[in-house]
Amino acid sequence: MDTKSRTKRAKTISRSLLTWLVAIVLIGFAASIGLSWILQTRLSNQSAEEVLRINIEDVQQDIQDKSDMNLLELTREIAGELPEGQAATSERLRELMKQHDVSEINVINDKGFITASTEDEFLGYDMREGEQASEFMCLVTENETEYVQKFRGISYDSSLGRKYAGVRFEGGGFVEVGYDAQRFQRDVDRTVVGITHNRHVGKGGFIMVADAKWDLVSDLKRHEGQNLYVSGVWIDREKMPENHIFHCTVYGVPSCCLYAMSEGYCIVAVIPENEIVLQRDTSVLLSSALEINIYIALFVVIFLLVRKLVVRNINRVNDSLSRITEGNLDEVVDVRSNTEFSALSDDINATVSTLKQYIKAAATRIDEELAFARNIQHSAMPSVFPPYPERKDFSLYATMHTAREVGGDFYDFYLLDEDKLAFLIADVSGKGIPAAMFMMTGKTVIRDYAERGDEPAEVFRSANEKLCDGNDAEIFITAWMGFLDTKSGLVRFVNAGHNPPILIRDGRAAFIPMEADLMLAGMEGTAYEEQRMHMKPGDILFLYTDGVTEAANEQEEMYGEERLLEVLSASFGKGEEACRNICGTLKQDIDRFTGEATQSDDITMLCLYYAGRENVLK
Amino acid sequence: MLNIGIEANGDSLTVRLEGKLNTTAAMELDEKLRQALPGVKELVLDLEKLEYITSAGLRVLLFAQKTMAAQGKMTLRNVGSEILKILKMTGMLKMMTIE
Repeated sequence: MDTKSRTKRAKTISRSLLTWLVAIVLIGFAASIGLSWILQTRLSNQSAEEVLRINIEDVQQDIQDKSDMNLLELTREIAGELPEGQAATSERLRELMKQHDVSEINVINDKGFITASTEDEFLGYDMREGEQASEFMCLVTENETEYVQKFRGISYDSSLGRKYAGVRFEGGGFVEVGYDAQRFQRDVDRTVVGITHNRHVGKGGFIMVADAKWDLVSDLKRHEGQNLYVSGVWIDREKMPENHIFHCTVYGVPSCCLYAMSEGYCIVAVIPENEIVLQRDTSVLLSSALEINIYIALFVVIFLLVRKLVVRNINRVNDSLSRITEGNLDEVVDVRSNTEFSALSDDINATVSTLKQYIKAAATRIDEELAFARNIQHSAMPSVFPPYPERKDFSLYATMHTAREVGGDFYDFYLLDEDKLAFLIADVSGKGIPAAMFMMTGKTVIRDYAERGDEPAEVFRSANEKLCDGNDAEIFITAWMGFLDTKSGLVRFVNAGHNPPILIRDGRAAFIPMEADLMLAGMEGTAYEEQRMHMKPGDILFLYTDGVTEAANEQEEMYGEERLLEVLSASFGKGEEACRNICGTLKQDIDRFTGEATQSDDITMLCLYYAGRENVLK
Repeated sequence: MLNIGIEANGDSLTVRLEGKLNTTAAMELDEKLRQALPGVKELVLDLEKLEYITSAGLRVLLFAQKTMAAQGKMTLRNVGSEILKILKMTGMLKMMTIE
């Protein structure tokens, strides 16, 4: 998969972050709502318990106050009827007990001993011995005149519930009266009814009071006298501890209840469940609303932060990288907002720098190899002029100017025997190292066959076969080769698709009319024909490659054949000097013409001056 | 700049060249022909709008001629005088079938 489609498939960081954050926020939110729910439920249960307890405590206090007062009054009354004080008799006490309908009367002396009692077995009992009884010692040892106890299990029998009060005699000692729940409840009931009727617990809650027999004493629905159970409440004193919330349906309403015992009464506080639930729900809603806001704020902050710290910087880095990929290798990534991006910038720059070095090294290598190829070209060709200084009957001069893109032009010349000069020019198609190497092969092959003694056409025929063999690169060579008979001036030549040479005679240049056979290495079995022309003394033969005529200037105009003929139609003198002049002048003119444009093809020329045997230069 | 128009008709192929067949264009033409020639029995090159041809272009023509010689026939049509001259000078004219 290419990188472009990989990018399309991947999401942006912003998008992924968004998805993740939303998921996390939702989970977090759900979790905190859940926790909040649990917490709030506990809290509201607790506060319900508190409300219930407070109310019960209030009622408890009221009842106790009332019963205390009630019993104290009674005890005062009884004390008032005992003017004899400590000296009172048990019989007198029994009388009073019946009279006032109490459960127990004891008279204690100022030493703390029971001297008279409605129960014979109590006589002589040391008040200090019992936990409950010893509380009354304050009437003896301290200056308390009255003391009333809460309703409770009595010292000698904890299953019996009795309430005691004591009043001091003027002469010392005190009287202790005890009565059972039923006795004072009779007196207290009416007050109790009043106490609870107007009491509201929470909004829709209420208090119920039942007596020791579990009959309702105070009830919202006015079921006084009926069993507590009619309300729906059943209290199992063994399984359900006092002061602990329990749930039950009271008068058809599911409620939370709490009960406490007081002075023999059972006080039940009731509050409807949905009041608690409502309270809890409101709390949860409020805290959820708050949380939503917090989460949203956090969300936005995180999102923006990541965008600022990360996404924006990454985009800046990418922008720099795009500029680099577009070709500006000198672009520097400079994102320094934080350490990580600083490091990234440095790393990228280092990478680009290294790559630039590699590129430079590779380019240098290529240049070196091009130079090497050019060297092959140049070293292959004879470059010493004059090549045959001792010969006065002809002169030769040749130049090759290679283009940057190495082509495969070449020229060659050799004396096959004393009277026969072979000379040739060739142009290898293609560029670079393959062309340069094919050039070497071509030059060698042609020379081999020529020196073997073959005629020009035969040379090309054989060379062609050899060059076609294994020519996978499909490089071909245009070539023109001539054999000059130095005695007669006859030139026997063969043309393998090369541009025709120019004959300069008497200061006039003209193309030599000729046929062309197919270029070398084009196709096996190509036929080559020998052609002939005559050189007269003073004639100059000019051979060149298409780098001359196809040299282009910046306007992409080509030098062309007309300009070539024009420049060559002049008198250049004689001998080697003439040849040098021609090549030099032409090159200058080409340079003038092309101007600043880069040379695209090799410019190769070979000039042959024929003096003739008879007209040897002096 | 060279416009290459290729028209296939069964196992015949007509290729129209318009513009200059320079080195870059020659590479492009070479690639296109290599893809298109397998199975073609008759190749017609319409050179009416061809302005110029370089040695790189000649190479492609030579390759096309050699390939078609093995599997069928290649014909050059509407060859301009300039192109004709170049073909003559390079000795390629003898190899080609001209209409």
